[in-house]
Amino acid sequence: MRMKAQSKWSWEVAAYLFLAGLGGGAYVAGVTGDFLGAGWEVPSKVGVFLGFPSVFIGCMFLIADLGSPKNFWRAAMRPGTSWIARGTIIITIFMILDAIHIGFWVWPFPGVLANVDGARHFLGILGIIFAFATMIYTGILLGAARPIAFWSTAMLPLLFLVSALSTGVMAVVLVSSILGAAHEGPIAGLTRLDVMLIILEIFVVGFYLQATHRVPESRASALLVMTGAVAPMFWLGFAFLGLLLPLVLELIGAFALTGAGAGIAAVIAAISGIVGGLILRQVVLLGGIQAPLKAGRFEFALP
Amino acid sequence: MTRYGFVIDLKRCYGCYTCQVACKAENCTPQGVDWAKCVPAEVGSFPTALRQMLPLVCMQCAEPACMDVCPTGATTQDENGIVQVDKNLCMGCKYCIMACPYGARQVVDDWTTYFPDAEGPLDPYESWAKKEWETRRTGYGIATKCDFCMHRVKVGKQPACVEACPAKARYFGDLDDPESEISILIRRERGFQLNPEFGTDPSCYYLPPR
Repeated sequence: MRMKAQSKWSWEVAAYLFLAGLGGGAYVAGVTGDFLGAGWEVPSKVGVFLGFPSVFIGCMFLIADLGSPKNFWRAAMRPGTSWIARGTIIITIFMILDAIHIGFWVWPFPGVLANVDGARHFLGILGIIFAFATMIYTGILLGAARPIAFWSTAMLPLLFLVSALSTGVMAVVLVSSILGAAHEGPIAGLTRLDVMLIILEIFVVGFYLQATHRVPESRASALLVMTGAVAPMFWLGFAFLGLLLPLVLELIGAFALTGAGAGIAAVIAAISGIVGGLILRQVVLLGGIQAPLKAGRFEFALP
Repeated sequence: MTRYGFVIDLKRCYGCYTCQVACKAENCTPQGVDWAKCVPAEVGSFPTALRQMLPLVCMQCAEPACMDVCPTGATTQDENGIVQVDKNLCMGCKYCIMACPYGARQVVDDWTTYFPDAEGPLDPYESWAKKEWETRRTGYGIATKCDFCMHRVKVGKQPACVEACPAKARYFGDLDDPESEISILIRRERGFQLNPEFGTDPSCYYLPPR
């Protein structure tokens, strides 16, 4: 029996899952930097500034993927049962909180929140809650499709969360570096934090793939991803670009290089890791295989 | 209360695909949309190999997974247990396609010709079918599905695939009536639902294969 992977959700959905995660991760990194205080001005502002636009552009990709985009505003009509509706609400609240954060801290009302640390930090905590919810939701969204066992697992939200935090941190490092921040202090610290996140992500993706052994359709998904048609994308795109290369470059930057060299290594690591994060979403989407239908001894693969 | 249901006798089905074609003829579905379809499977190896066909329709589940995940409220269940999609409310997110264990939902972008290598506009029959497709509950970019031919049932006819089945493998009736033909068949011949582990309580029952 040959089981076919789903083809209805394509790269636009992957881009959405990726950008929503990256935005949430960057925001968490930014607000955490803000809590740390002196020296973190640039990365914390970059993080908070990246959140809203990333998630917003991600939503544009999702709307582009809709068959009837004129009805997109109905996406939140049934939060009682539908995870898309719940996610739409979560993401909207996150975008509103981040927009307030950006508007009152950075632009167009500079100073309103800059001098009121308490209010800004409170807003940051609220925002972090919804940023985490946004990152985790991207995994739950797929998980609610129960016939697709490769998605319907508690490991997927965790995998997407760790990848989102990692790509978010890398985005902050990348944009801060482009804006001229030197590779020292906070930027070097974020790069080292990302080393830990990537190591964690390696373990999580290992557990995620291990958890596919239970039913035939998710075993087929794991085989498709690791040895089948999706394998080049998985090994080259995600394992190499998303995990190995950034990990090695960040370790070299941390231990063997100083100054500009370390900065360049961190920037290349960030670009590579961010691309890998996008490819991870696409790999998971392409690996989605529906459960076969069973009647007596027969198992029917859906066409 | 009425709960419309199907019984499909796997012993009788020989996989002629008449149900699939009858559905197309009745509902004018475009290429890529098969509300009723037949899926083959094999088990064992020579000399004990067996082949079985599995005819599928929308199961009109009592607990429809597609309705749970629908974010817009376009999916509803009517008083007869039929799961309906409102084409004006659906936004085409395709979440229902992912959530349905039975592959009942399909989405299509356009009504294109069935003739290979055909150029130019659709022929008159296809144009008529395209118009029919567009004026019913259906359309492009939105989720579409079988509704047990409610437009026929309302005027006292059987669903098109049931009427057309030459093997008489398909039965249509009311699950809530214990004396209906399908209720008796389910009781007497050990009717079962496909993949009950998904908890959708389908209204389509199957009689065991040989």
